[in-house]
Amino acid sequence: MRRALLAITGLAAGTTALVVLKGGPGAGPATAGDVPAAQAPVAPGGTPAPDGVTAAPSASAKAPASASASAKASPSAKPDRKPASRGGDRTSTAPAAPRTTTKAPKPTTRTVTGPTVTYASTGSGPKEHQVRVQITLSGNRIVDVRGLDLPVGGQPGRLADDVQARYSGSSGEVVEKQSANVNTVSGATYTSTAYKQSLQGALDKA
Amino acid sequence: MAAAGRPGLRRVEHIMGTAISLDLADDLPAEALHELAERTFDWMREVDARFSTYRDDSEVCRLDRGELRLAEASDDLRAVLERCADLWTATDGFFDAYATGRLDPSGYVKGWAAQVASDRLLAAGAPNHCVNAGGDVRVRGHAADGEPWRIGVRHPWDPTATCLVLAGTDLAVATSGVYERGHHVVDPRRGTPAVGLRSVTVVGPDLGEADAYATAAVAMGTPTGITWLDHLPSPWQHAAITDQSHLFHSRTLPRHPSR
Repeated sequence: MRRALLAITGLAAGTTALVVLKGGPGAGPATAGDVPAAQAPVAPGGTPAPDGVTAAPSASAKAPASASASAKASPSAKPDRKPASRGGDRTSTAPAAPRTTTKAPKPTTRTVTGPTVTYASTGSGPKEHQVRVQITLSGNRIVDVRGLDLPVGGQPGRLADDVQARYSGSSGEVVEKQSANVNTVSGATYTSTAYKQSLQGALDKA
Repeated sequence: MAAAGRPGLRRVEHIMGTAISLDLADDLPAEALHELAERTFDWMREVDARFSTYRDDSEVCRLDRGELRLAEASDDLRAVLERCADLWTATDGFFDAYATGRLDPSGYVKGWAAQVASDRLLAAGAPNHCVNAGGDVRVRGHAADGEPWRIGVRHPWDPTATCLVLAGTDLAVATSGVYERGHHVVDPRRGTPAVGLRSVTVVGPDLGEADAYATAAVAMGTPTGITWLDHLPSPWQHAAITDQSHLFHSRTLPRHPSR
């Protein structure tokens, strides 16, 4: 999960950089029609991808820029990375970039979705995973970053596959009733009342 | 009570708000068995008096209210708190003796108490026994029929059935689940009830730890809990049943051959 979040963070920063760098006048087909192209590319203070996860921004740089941000200056995107807040309900408080050359337009909120990016992981299992990053901007501030198409639970699917492969059933046995020919029963702690209706209670009476 | 035709003694007492079942399978004189049983239940009552969170005068409650300083606490209580701290670390914080906002080491104490009772029985010359403290089981040696102990794991949707049968001569088996007291296991990180795992059984050498591990895994939910259980070092083993009634268990779980 942490790895995925770090990857998103890195990708978010990378996407922002690309959007800014790519978004000059006539620099490509901006498909998000109502979004003006960025005009003042500034090197972003993005967070680099962590060890073990290699973002591959070159792939997305070739992709049509379906995302063009209205950022006049690139803010230092430092989305909140608390693992508890998954699913993109975070609000990041990116500081305003002081190096903007022109006044920021009146703050309007827009949501931009980047292209699907393939990133590589160095662990075992499949080497490539895909993710899309959606950013929400208020004026030139990023106020939200979401990872889209994340594997369930924020973990690559291979993890679940690994776990399943190590267990007895391919997708887990469906729980069945077994012989009651036992000496004792392990179970969640019962109250004295529940004990009377339990198998253990019956065994003790036998 | 001792059934005719079998050696040993069986007895049940209600302590700690649950039932404690003792099965002594050694062919010892009746007085010796009686004495062993008395000592076992005396110990469990003593633990209840000192560690219960329902008794205002227990050591745990007095410590929690600040009336007792840690330095004045009994060796047992200090050892328990130390183990709880170790388990908090070992479970990434998911076993938390303060999960309810106050000191409540019950998730470790019941299993620990039964483990100590079993250790004492072994030392006292009763190597074949089964102690079941409200579903936490410690077995040693063989049952009265001469076979390894057969331990059923309670079916998570039917209190009168089992869903797994384990067999062994030296096992601690602890089960934590949401079916008896509802979703009472709280994810200490989010403060919300844990979801995803209906029942987790942990098998290993120590019952207190087994109980804490099972509780932690339930709090983690799926898939984290199952992955975490899978990374417990040998000889720890487990079986987890999801809310979708799928059973996942260690490959080397000591299942009883007859199913």
